Amino acid sequence: MTFLQSVRKSLRHKVMLLVLAITVSALTMSGAGLVLYDLQSYERQYSNDMLSQAEVLARASGPALTFGDRRTAEKDLSVMQVRPRILAAALYSRDGKLFATYSKPDLPAQSFPASPGHTGYTVEDDQLFLFRPVLENGETVGTIHLRGIYRPWDRLRDYVTILFVVMIASLVVAALLSGWLQNAITAPVLEIAHVSREVMSKRDYSLRVRKTTDDEIGELVDAFNAMLAEVGRRSEALREADRRKDEFLATLAHELRNPLAPIRNALEILKIAGDDPGKSLKAREMMQRQVSQMVRLVDDLLDVSRITTGKLAVRKTPLDLHGALGDAIETAKPFIESRKHLLEIDLPRAATVVDGDRTRLAQLFSNLLNNAAKYTEPGGRIQLTLRQDGRDAVVCVRDNGIGMAAESLATIFDMFVQVDRTLERSQAGLGVGLTLVRRLVELHGGTVEAASAGQGEGSEFIVRLPLSHARLEEAPAGKSNGGPPEHVRRILLADDNADFANSLGQLLTSRGHQVRIAYDGAAALATAREFMPDIAFVDIGMPQVHGYEVARRMRSESSTAGCVLVAVTGWGQENDRKRAREAGFDRHLVKPVDRAEIESILETCTRPGPVA
Amino acid sequence: MDLLIHTRRSALWLAAAAVAAFASSALAQQAAEAAVKAAFLYKFAGYVEWPDSALLPSEAPFTIGIIGADDVAAELDRLVPGRTVLNRRVVVRRVKEGEGLKGVHLLFIGRGEANPRALLRAAQQQGTLAVTESERGFELGSAINFVTLDDRIGFEVSLESAEKSGLRISSRMLAVARRVVARQ
Repeated sequence: MTFLQSVRKSLRHKVMLLVLAITVSALTMSGAGLVLYDLQSYERQYSNDMLSQAEVLARASGPALTFGDRRTAEKDLSVMQVRPRILAAALYSRDGKLFATYSKPDLPAQSFPASPGHTGYTVEDDQLFLFRPVLENGETVGTIHLRGIYRPWDRLRDYVTILFVVMIASLVVAALLSGWLQNAITAPVLEIAHVSREVMSKRDYSLRVRKTTDDEIGELVDAFNAMLAEVGRRSEALREADRRKDEFLATLAHELRNPLAPIRNALEILKIAGDDPGKSLKAREMMQRQVSQMVRLVDDLLDVSRITTGKLAVRKTPLDLHGALGDAIETAKPFIESRKHLLEIDLPRAATVVDGDRTRLAQLFSNLLNNAAKYTEPGGRIQLTLRQDGRDAVVCVRDNGIGMAAESLATIFDMFVQVDRTLERSQAGLGVGLTLVRRLVELHGGTVEAASAGQGEGSEFIVRLPLSHARLEEAPAGKSNGGPPEHVRRILLADDNADFANSLGQLLTSRGHQVRIAYDGAAALATAREFMPDIAFVDIGMPQVHGYEVARRMRSESSTAGCVLVAVTGWGQENDRKRAREAGFDRHLVKPVDRAEIESILETCTRPGPVA
Repeated sequence: MDLLIHTRRSALWLAAAAVAAFASSALAQQAAEAAVKAAFLYKFAGYVEWPDSALLPSEAPFTIGIIGADDVAAELDRLVPGRTVLNRRVVVRRVKEGEGLKGVHLLFIGRGEANPRALLRAAQQQGTLAVTESERGFELGSAINFVTLDDRIGFEVSLESAEKSGLRISSRMLAVARRVVARQ
């Protein structure tokens, strides 16, 4: 029982048992086969042996029989002394009389039959009797008789004894062999077990199992070591990701907190300044800068969550990259100009068509431009080029800024990685811009790579996007060719949230649009009648006259019936959308309104008829 | 006294009986000796190789010549019918004085021949196996000589004489010879 248990639990004992079992069974089977075969052929071999003995003896004693020389005949027979298994031999003369005899010396004299028996042999009482005629010169001159020991069971006993001795010797050899096998098999396995325990207890993934053989166990050791290396890499990567996330959270809190102080200050200034327009303007401008910084941060944050949850999606249509690049330039221009950089743009005349999402592509390239502007000392130079290379469209953003070390190139696209943490905080983002860039490029089926000759040598980002097979004329977004100036729109903003209305108004104005702002429904209607806007962004929840009523009345009056009406509301339920549609709205935006959504509406606001 | 006389008479009778018995046994022994010698002569042929010249012509019978031993010749006459040597019929020829030995393969010169020398020389010259039963047999040039020892008939072989006749005698036969005179 205990033996069985130890065998079940110990590889070492299993190997030992295996070797011994194989040895015993192989020897037993081969021995048994050999014995069976030998017993079967023993009688035949033995009688053949006796017959040939008789033949030799007959040949030798032929002349003695012929010439009746008894002494010579007995001398001939005595040769049988060298054959210990032959007990007796005799010669009979031609007339059947006993002529000469031989008995084994250490035996009592044997008795011989008075006359020769029949030619051939018989077995009787462990003895074999053989008679054979002696021929000389073609004549029978007598008969020879041999008598031998015939004991097959003695032979069997000898065999079993030999087998037993061989088995004992083999078991000793097998035991030694299994000892060697243990070194070759169980020792490495035990070492693997030992090392894995060590790894688990110490959490040290740098430990390795020593490889001692090149066989399957060697492979196991290699695989185990490779696994350890992989686990080590992953745990290191996890730690690194965790560290970056912590840093990110710290940065995020800091970044979100940062703009609040100037905003609060500006509010104080506004309270104190009263009617001083200069001071008020400055305060508002300050607040606007800070708020836009915060909006950018929150936008980034939203993108981060989209990336991590895999919800970042693009809607691809064939489009000309000029449009997306124009949008990007427009978005990044204020920052580039504020840093006093020189932006050099080199775009080919011909359309470069890719399958993509214009808004996302614009975001991608503006991120790269902002990045270049951010990491270049004021007054630097930023180059944006577009060219075609085989089946790819290649967009290059190059700057002469702080550059980066070669070892940073590999991680620059990882989440929350920032090259220069010493950078002024107001410029620093959250370290997600390039991650977003890479993700967007991948979603477009392209690649992005960073290159830099080293720190202080400037850097270059190269985006490759596969060219579209579609023709440009199929592209619906091809009307804007080269960014601003776009079509100038007449825009009415109606919202009781003056901050929102003003900030959006300012934004649209800066794009060259004509903008009017109304802070309630009645004012909105009055302005609409007089201003006749192309587009009206109307808040639903306004005092006095709510948005639905504004829409209905605008639709009912001929001067404003053709206007594109966009509902802006905090409610995004299908029910709300339906109600907005019934009131006459063309589009429906849910607060907070995405700037890109507004831009895309401005791009595409083609209500059939009036706006053309 | 009576007893003594009786004893003498008995002894006399006994002596007479012994003499008679001896005489008769001597006669019987002589006859048996002739039979054994006849059988040996025939058997010698199985262990001897003759020169090719002596065996011509090939269809000739194997001839055993006898001189000076009529009893042996008579025994052979009884023995040979139906037997062969070297795949030839065996015949017995009684050789006369002065007769040639042509065609005789084996010649037995018995004690009855007083002057064997010429015969032996002739035998030696033409490859005939010469057998004698005399102590001087080898001296005169015979190859095989019968001897009697302890009442048993045996034979001696002279390889020297055999060689002179161009004969080769099997070593198996030599193994049972009483004496072998080697070549010099």
